[in-house]
Amino acid sequence: MVEIVNNHSMKKSFGKSLLYALPMFLITFVFITGGKPDFSDPAGALAILVTFLGMNILYFLMHYTGKTDKFRAILFIIFALSLSFTLIKNMVAIRHSMSFSQADIIECRIPFCHLVIPMMILPAAFTKSIIFPGTILGGFANISSMVVLWLVATIVLGRGFCSWGCFYGGWDDGFSRLRKKPVIKRISDSWRWMPFAVLLMVAITAALSLTPTYCSWICPFKAVTEFEQVTTVESAAKAGVFISLFLGLVVILPVLTRKRTQCSFLCPLGAISSLSNKITPFTVKIDKKTCNECFKCVDVCPLFALTHEDVKNGKVSIFCSKCGKCVDACSRKAIHYGIKGIPAGDMKNFSRNIFLFVSFLFIAIFSSGSIITVLKSVFNLFI
Amino acid sequence: MLDSFILGLSSGSTCLLTCGMVIFPYLMAGSAGTRKIITDLSFFLLTRLLVYFLLATLAWYFGKTFLTSAIFRNYVSGILYILFAIMLVWYSVSRNRKPDCPAKIVNTVNNKKLVPVFLGVVNSLGFCPSLLLILTKSATQGTIAQSYLAFLGFFAGSTLYFLPLPFAGRLKKKKVFETIGILATGLAGIIFMVKGITNLIGGILNG
Repeated sequence: MVEIVNNHSMKKSFGKSLLYALPMFLITFVFITGGKPDFSDPAGALAILVTFLGMNILYFLMHYTGKTDKFRAILFIIFALSLSFTLIKNMVAIRHSMSFSQADIIECRIPFCHLVIPMMILPAAFTKSIIFPGTILGGFANISSMVVLWLVATIVLGRGFCSWGCFYGGWDDGFSRLRKKPVIKRISDSWRWMPFAVLLMVAITAALSLTPTYCSWICPFKAVTEFEQVTTVESAAKAGVFISLFLGLVVILPVLTRKRTQCSFLCPLGAISSLSNKITPFTVKIDKKTCNECFKCVDVCPLFALTHEDVKNGKVSIFCSKCGKCVDACSRKAIHYGIKGIPAGDMKNFSRNIFLFVSFLFIAIFSSGSIITVLKSVFNLFI
Repeated sequence: MLDSFILGLSSGSTCLLTCGMVIFPYLMAGSAGTRKIITDLSFFLLTRLLVYFLLATLAWYFGKTFLTSAIFRNYVSGILYILFAIMLVWYSVSRNRKPDCPAKIVNTVNNKKLVPVFLGVVNSLGFCPSLLLILTKSATQGTIAQSYLAFLGFFAGSTLYFLPLPFAGRLKKKKVFETIGILATGLAGIIFMVKGITNLIGGILNG
């Protein structure tokens, strides 16, 4: 395979970039409009048009500039914000409140999210029951569709799901970009094993209590989605935990460290996704022949996936979410997207093109619904 | 029962870290064979269970005698939970962890057949923050059966770590498992800190 551009750049010409963006343009058009654009509702049509164009411009720019992370992050952060907005909007429409009552739990009206998956596995295996009070099929955010989406994304992208599909990751990704330089620079690498400790705890406690313990007691994103109605000391304590963890791990620490601390130190699904990095075809590779060990990639990695040792050994750890930040930071392009089986340093452009197509297509399809909902609400204010 | 199990999990990782190097060689003596290892491990675990039931009885009796008022129980358990939970968190984040196992004195036991029993007694009486927390919980239970159940959960949680002992020598990433164990201990500490605060506030509001 002949490299399309020189070894030190992933940039493409305007025409070539357009050519690479064309398949994405056509596929997203079909998925976003359903093949038949509906112009009867002007606000809706405008929202679809802006979403469709915005996404394709970002994809085009990834090819044209050769940079990945900056454009991925724009869509990723917008996705996180719009999903929270859509969820809250739905909750308020159904329940007139962001909080849910015991009646909502009994009647299985709680929207499902992928973070519940680690807690479902053991009870499902041993008791053949799903321990989440949501709907299996139909309704808003049902269990089966989320599980299938996550499973497909995880098998294909590995932990790439955390940077290309998770609608919570955009929160701490966004906050981690607010400061130009980190205030806290040294954090022990040992902390990156914390999600495995959380996974151990929540998987066992959920299996024993047959309740989703992470959602009940820990999940920081309850603060921006939905939470249990505060009626007792216990529910007040839970709300306190949600808010503290959200402020600490999603807002304050990412700002101070420029790292995605919630994803790195808490998320139990991140732990499972890390393990799935072992089976996914896509990876990030280090070409030791080109690498001059400047360790810029270690500094910029938002998930503590790279250590000095990893770079010296020429191997990226299982924690990599393929966000592309290290790839963009490397001036020698020694670190690059790769496909398992192809040696490091070979077919960099080919690997990147394939990975970008798959991962961007996933986030584009997955995020378009909530982005359109938000834009439609905004346009409705003016039209 | 679930709380006790979590505590047991945290206690198990602490036990293994501090006592692993003493317990491993005796329970996994290379020439002993699988049957011997299983027999020794069974005696070791049975002794621990018996000691825990003894502790459960004592704790329940203490609670019944001294913690007579329900509100007072809330206060005491709240404060002790917070205190011991802080110790547990401190243990997990402390950089100067020095493994110091009370079972070291096992070398003084001449009758090798009694070693697993001796290890069981010493290991279950190692007063770590997790054991203090389960003692507090046990003392504040309504009936002796609940107190036994609490210790049973604690035993089950801590035993999980001992079951794969015969295969521990084959583990490639011991350091990683050790790190996850320590972090899980810290998490258990945080869970009990929140529980302690909830108990305390509940006690104040009801008082």
